[in-house]
Amino acid sequence: MEVGRLPISAALKGKLVSAGYTSLSLLSSLSPSHLARDLNISENEALDILKHAPHDGRIDTSGGHHIISGAQTAWDMLHEEELLTRITTSSVDIDNILGGGISCREVTEIGGVPGIGKTQLGIQLAVNVQLPVHCGGLGGKAIYIDTEGSFMVERVLQIAEACWDDMLANNAISQNVHAGQVGMQPKDFLENILYFRVCSYTEQIALINYLDKFISEHRDVKIVVVDSITFHFRQDFEDMALRTRLLSGMALKLMKLAKKFCLAVVLLNQVTTKYAEGSFQLTLALGDSWSHACTNRIILYWNGNERYAYIDKSPSLRSASAPYAVTARGIRNNVSNCKRIKLM
Amino acid sequence: MSEIGRRFTARRVNRKEGQRRAQESHSCCSALLVASFGKVTIVQGMASLKRLETEFPILDPDFQSFCALRGIFTVQDFLIRDLQSLVADAEQQPSSERFMQAINQVLYVIDGLHQPWLNGVDLMEDAQKNKHVLSTGCEGMDFLLRGGLRRGQVTELAGPSSSGKTQFCLLTASTVAYKHMGGVIYIDTGNSFSAKRIARFLNQISCPASEEMQPRVLQEVMNSILCHSVYDIFSMFDVLHCLESKLKYQMCRGDNDERLIIIDSISSLITPILGSSGSQGRALMVSAMSLLKKLAHEYNLAVLVTNHTVGGDGGIPKPALGESWKTLPHVRLLLSRDCGSNTYQVSLLKHPSIASGKAAKFIIND
Repeated sequence: MEVGRLPISAALKGKLVSAGYTSLSLLSSLSPSHLARDLNISENEALDILKHAPHDGRIDTSGGHHIISGAQTAWDMLHEEELLTRITTSSVDIDNILGGGISCREVTEIGGVPGIGKTQLGIQLAVNVQLPVHCGGLGGKAIYIDTEGSFMVERVLQIAEACWDDMLANNAISQNVHAGQVGMQPKDFLENILYFRVCSYTEQIALINYLDKFISEHRDVKIVVVDSITFHFRQDFEDMALRTRLLSGMALKLMKLAKKFCLAVVLLNQVTTKYAEGSFQLTLALGDSWSHACTNRIILYWNGNERYAYIDKSPSLRSASAPYAVTARGIRNNVSNCKRIKLM
Repeated sequence: MSEIGRRFTARRVNRKEGQRRAQESHSCCSALLVASFGKVTIVQGMASLKRLETEFPILDPDFQSFCALRGIFTVQDFLIRDLQSLVADAEQQPSSERFMQAINQVLYVIDGLHQPWLNGVDLMEDAQKNKHVLSTGCEGMDFLLRGGLRRGQVTELAGPSSSGKTQFCLLTASTVAYKHMGGVIYIDTGNSFSAKRIARFLNQISCPASEEMQPRVLQEVMNSILCHSVYDIFSMFDVLHCLESKLKYQMCRGDNDERLIIIDSISSLITPILGSSGSQGRALMVSAMSLLKKLAHEYNLAVLVTNHTVGGDGGIPKPALGESWKTLPHVRLLLSRDCGSNTYQVSLLKHPSIASGKAAKFIIND
């Protein structure tokens, strides 16, 4: 393996090459102190480099299928996918087009014009994830990362109360009361939402880097909602190339979080106009390179006076749209008397 | 390595002072034991002449000190030095014949290190016997590519978001696993590998009359598709290196059945490192592609990578990753989808043997 492929800084790579170590097998028998002396670096740095040297036990040639550690066959993944539960959105129509709700291990991006209900949907999901599994949730906590300041605690309490009422009604009908769950008060919903407020893009990146450690300490977190992911990257960024790099790095980290801890990541995004094919069209913010950062994408739009949700991108779901409504109780199915407010 | 070894390494760095230091360590040279160079293998080309002495006694200490005076300690140094002047020097020495024999011996060792030369006939045989075409399961694409993905070549599929790249990758993986009974390695960077979709594709391919495939057969086929999730380019290098060792081992045993590597998408791994100060990002990109091409050629695999697009002149999307990327894949395709439908359009941007600019349409059913 070439030294050029090691995840170390360019300066260290240069030192390795000029000292004569061009291939990793030459490093495999060295002690850190010897390497440190050779290259004129600290012993810690030498230890870092030698971590990547091939050990004899790493390459297993026993000939089985799972030699490459971390691989899974499609058959195993099929069974895992069937067992995966989803988070309901409280609107049966949207749940139907999503195949049951927002799925774990995937990054879902939800975008739409202002006022369509993105934050409402984010809050609804943060509340719904705490429901027990038989009610459509995952019985876990939620992390809510707020970049715009649109998180209203009173609204969360309102939605939580409505959710609790529904849960009680369902329990009464099905007579399926689990011990300890009837005792959940609306205020308990608030306790399980972990809220972070970020005020700049550096804070956002730092927080996402920190989430790995945070979630390994709080293993019952099942959803991360970022509202909105693009706000701090849209203004005041002169260096577009840097922005692309930061965003794609952030996207990969979120993907890794979702897969590693088996949770759902929901990113809310704004829209902007784009000039394409001779006309101006609405498209999600941050451009083409960001549009590849999610596994699924849902676009919320107005159709006449009604709100619709449309699946724009998904590896396994069909493209479909479903109407929904934002009510005092949260996101619900569309009832025809929900009107759009016309601005004069 | 001992104190002597440390001076030895320092000597490699400071070649200009070679002569002076060579005098110093001349006496140390003869005291060096073979064991201290035990780990250095001939294959790396860094073998010292001392190490070669055990196999080729003609490289005796006299020859080694003759070379040491000129700053030559390893096979690699031999390659770098001017051979003419070395030969001229050797002829002026008292034991010139032995030295000439020793030089020839080293050249013989060097000759054995590179890949054997192949002529056109060998390449043609290799192409006909090993480098077959894998059908992708998609008629329009197979027609455009004259059969499908060719083993030994790296194919790039670029397209805007939600234009069907992942669907095409899943369909190709299912087809290769089922029709060609081959192993598929799927490297996924965006959690978009969907086993349910693969099962649906397999049902469509095998039983068009919408019956269910037998679970035992389905299990066998799906067990040959291996999925990896990687989230940075160094993990991808690790996966490819493990794969290389596994393939080498299988090749020795003769039961190599891997056919296809899919990386979806390689652009999300390269974009975070490309373009920053210094050319490290580009170096890693080129290094990754050269590794993939090597795997494709030596182990007769087809490689499919996906790329996203960025806005180009006039708003027409063009593939991402820049100008240097354009030369790397063998075959380049641009995919687009008619809005809201299942019809896809693909056009050929680059191909070694088909004129570019051709286009085709195909449909992928749900």
